[in-house]
Amino acid sequence: MIGHERDTGDKAQAPWKSPVALSVFLHGLILVVALAGWSWTSPDNPPPPSISARLVTLAEPEPSPVVDTVDEPDRDQQRQKAQEEEQRRQEQEAERRRQEEARAEEARQLQQQKEQERKEQAEAEREREQQRIREQQAAKEKAEAEAKERARQKAEAERREQEAARQAAEEKRRAEEEQRRQEEARKQREEQERLEAERKRKERERQLRESQLQALAQEAAEQREAEERRHQEAAAARARQAQMLAESEKYRALIRDRLMKAWYPPASATSEMSTTLQITLLPTGELASVTTVSGSGNTAFDNSAISAASSVGRYPVPEDQQLFEQYFRRFPIEFNPENMQ
Amino acid sequence: MMKFTASQKALALIFSFGLVAGCSSTGDTMGEDGMESAPGSESTSGQESGSTVFGGEDGSGVSSSEMTEQQRQEAEARAERAQAEAMREITTFYFDFDTAEIKQEARDVLVAHARFLRANPGQDVRIEGHADERGTKGYNLALGERRANAVQSFLVVNGAARGQTETVSYGEEKPAVMSSGESAWAQNRRVELIFQ
Amino acid sequence: MKNRSNPSGPRHALLVVMMLSLFAAPVLGDELLIRITQGADAAIPISVVPFSESGQMPQGDKISRIVQSDLAMSGEFNPLAPEKMLSLPSEGSEVFFRDWRLLGQRYVLVGQVNSAGGTLQAQYELYDVSQEKRLVGATASAPVSASRSLAHHISDRVYEAITGVPGAFSTKLAYVTLERRADGSLYRLQVSDVDGKRARVRLESDEPILSPAWSPDAKKLAYVSFETGKPAIYVHELSSGERQRVADFQGLNSAPAWSDDGRSLLMTLSKDGNAEIYRMSLANGDLKRLTDHWSIDTEPAYDHTGEGFFFTSDRSGGPQVYHQASDSAGPRRITFGGRYNAAPRADSSGDYVYYVHQRAGAFHIARTHLETGTETVLTRTESDESPSISPNGRMLIYATESGGNSVLTVIAVDGGAAYSLPASRGDVRDPTWSPIVQ
Repeated sequence: MIGHERDTGDKAQAPWKSPVALSVFLHGLILVVALAGWSWTSPDNPPPPSISARLVTLAEPEPSPVVDTVDEPDRDQQRQKAQEEEQRRQEQEAERRRQEEARAEEARQLQQQKEQERKEQAEAEREREQQRIREQQAAKEKAEAEAKERARQKAEAERREQEAARQAAEEKRRAEEEQRRQEEARKQREEQERLEAERKRKERERQLRESQLQALAQEAAEQREAEERRHQEAAAARARQAQMLAESEKYRALIRDRLMKAWYPPASATSEMSTTLQITLLPTGELASVTTVSGSGNTAFDNSAISAASSVGRYPVPEDQQLFEQYFRRFPIEFNPENMQ
Repeated sequence: MMKFTASQKALALIFSFGLVAGCSSTGDTMGEDGMESAPGSESTSGQESGSTVFGGEDGSGVSSSEMTEQQRQEAEARAERAQAEAMREITTFYFDFDTAEIKQEARDVLVAHARFLRANPGQDVRIEGHADERGTKGYNLALGERRANAVQSFLVVNGAARGQTETVSYGEEKPAVMSSGESAWAQNRRVELIFQ
Repeated sequence: MKNRSNPSGPRHALLVVMMLSLFAAPVLGDELLIRITQGADAAIPISVVPFSESGQMPQGDKISRIVQSDLAMSGEFNPLAPEKMLSLPSEGSEVFFRDWRLLGQRYVLVGQVNSAGGTLQAQYELYDVSQEKRLVGATASAPVSASRSLAHHISDRVYEAITGVPGAFSTKLAYVTLERRADGSLYRLQVSDVDGKRARVRLESDEPILSPAWSPDAKKLAYVSFETGKPAIYVHELSSGERQRVADFQGLNSAPAWSDDGRSLLMTLSKDGNAEIYRMSLANGDLKRLTDHWSIDTEPAYDHTGEGFFFTSDRSGGPQVYHQASDSAGPRRITFGGRYNAAPRADSSGDYVYYVHQRAGAFHIARTHLETGTETVLTRTESDESPSISPNGRMLIYATESGGNSVLTVIAVDGGAAYSLPASRGDVRDPTWSPIVQ
């Protein structure tokens, strides 16, 4: 409350401006106003502002789709298989028929052979009979001839014996003379031979020494040449190999580049997954076959690798046949993503 | 909106009778000031400036210099009140991106609001916090609340009763300006006072 | 005679050959291994050939068209426009692989649809063009009214056959649309197919609806609604329409996130003074407080274990993503790039966390690789919000600005081409992807 200084000075004022009247009037006004606005009860807390939110219920329940899934066999494959079946059966049929015919043929031949054999045997029998008769005849004749021959020979032998004895005595006289002459000649010859042999021996020794020296020199030269050749060949081989390697590196890089562009690794691939394939090419660079050497365990990943390798129409390969055969006829590829972040 | 129970009103009525009984008719300034509230509610003499000058016109022994002093103070008081009223017309406060820091220029205004609230314990205020559309909804909801809470704390520290205040955050859901760009965003990063 | 101390001819030659072969061995190897360590960074070319039809086809998109859109949306496939196809086979015997190789295609899907007695039956085959091999061949049927479901089923099977990952095309989206009208705003909570079709409104309100979240059995949605004048959390059962207001405390009630068993919700409440994260048991409403810091802690999301969770906190000065491994563990900061990282979402593999990331004034979706801490920005759009990961972990949907409105966009989880869902009236926001349920 604020205390006020009061000024109680007298003033001349109009009746309605008299302080008392004014005071009473104001009091009355207050009373009226207060009573008019008086609310005799305590007001309730007003309700919270209502902001409507409307639920939207479903007109009908959602249809649950009945989705059956039945895996269909590959019709193409089936047809192919059926065809193959048919073919095989036909082949079998043909085979059987062939075999039958062969058997029949065999039987016929056997029959013929037996006929033949029987005929031959009869022939042979007849032959043998005739032969026996002829032989008997011949034997008789031979015996007679032999007897005549023996008598003649005996007479001849006696005559020769006498002749021989006369000649023998003559021979003996001449022989003795000859012997003496030869003995002397022999002695001369031996002397000469001895001298000749000596000379030859010395000659041989000299030649041997010479040839030995020559041989040694030759050997040394040959060895040097051989070594030289080997060195050159080795160097050439190395150079060739290095060149081949460089060439193969170039083509390797080309192939790697092609495959990188052709590979779509599946989204679930991780850097732990690795698939290795064996590629076989034709000399033109065309793909002959793709086989899996080792899989990743993840079918989608393996398939992505095989698809990538299969999708390259022509692999870049060197023209050089030797290089192709050595490096690019058959080679492995490993698919293994790095940094899958 | 005033919520007073019947007993409070009776007490007020009795007090005012007492007051009015003790007042002189020359204090006609009191009547004017006292009647600014809505009908049906009570007026008290707890005014801002609190300086009612009496006896200025009669010149009853008070020196002329004193009267000028009193006049000056009166004028000052009126000016202050006017200023406070003008400031309290500002009910929206703006913030920088991702912060709930009350700006310097907002402080004086909020002080005026706080004092008003203290002077009017029956007055309630709803503090609504907002954020601009950038960033995430969840974070912006919390950011709006933090701004509203900051304003609430400031008002309470400066005289308002906590019970007079209520905070709500709308996050980025109720922008003041419905477009994008720095200007729109700046206008949406705000707290609004809604007096009830 | 010359005396030689070295070994004689033949042995010397052998030694030389041995030495040569020693260092020539790697050079002379006849097997070279080529290692492919990365592939084409592009979408897989696939041709979805328009299916042949017999019988009365339902109105609306063709089944093959829906499959084509699904595969394109995933970001992992690049379907060929049917106008460019050289032939239109409808079964394996009609597929000439050379034609498709010429077009650079890797896979071809062909099929026939026939309609009889209210049932739609689709026979389809998926071929690998390079291997000239069939990967999938099956028949599927559904009532005519569910033709879109049938199409999405086929998309799932094709997707899984090629990538090894189950498809997510038969799942649902929940989101909020906002229509600003002269007499005020109209918010609608809606559920639709993954491509935005067959949308059904579940709740309409004049006040905001925020952050819907699917229960693990896909039967309920939890969301924040301002219908009482302040934010409260509701659990809404979709088939019956029954709702329960589960959190209406003083201050914030926001950002609900379901536990894996569907029995509790993580949420942000500020009833104890400032925004903190709590777990509420849905059976009895019991609350357990999980964070304790004067900063804002909000936007919780369980990690792939279902035990720990990610959340947004500005305890370091601005919003950043944190991870808390269990109720009692302390939080660990995850993001360090830039001043603003919020709204984290984990993927089911535990490799990444996805979130909104501010860079040079624009807001993108980014992800951090949890083991290495590497951060990658995934989007090129600039006002991105509310990321949600598909249940197969391969797609990400988020809201972004386009032509003055908010629209939903899907990208592959590695980033890449963005696929915008057809825009409806007004804004579409807060998308969330349902789980896969059989």
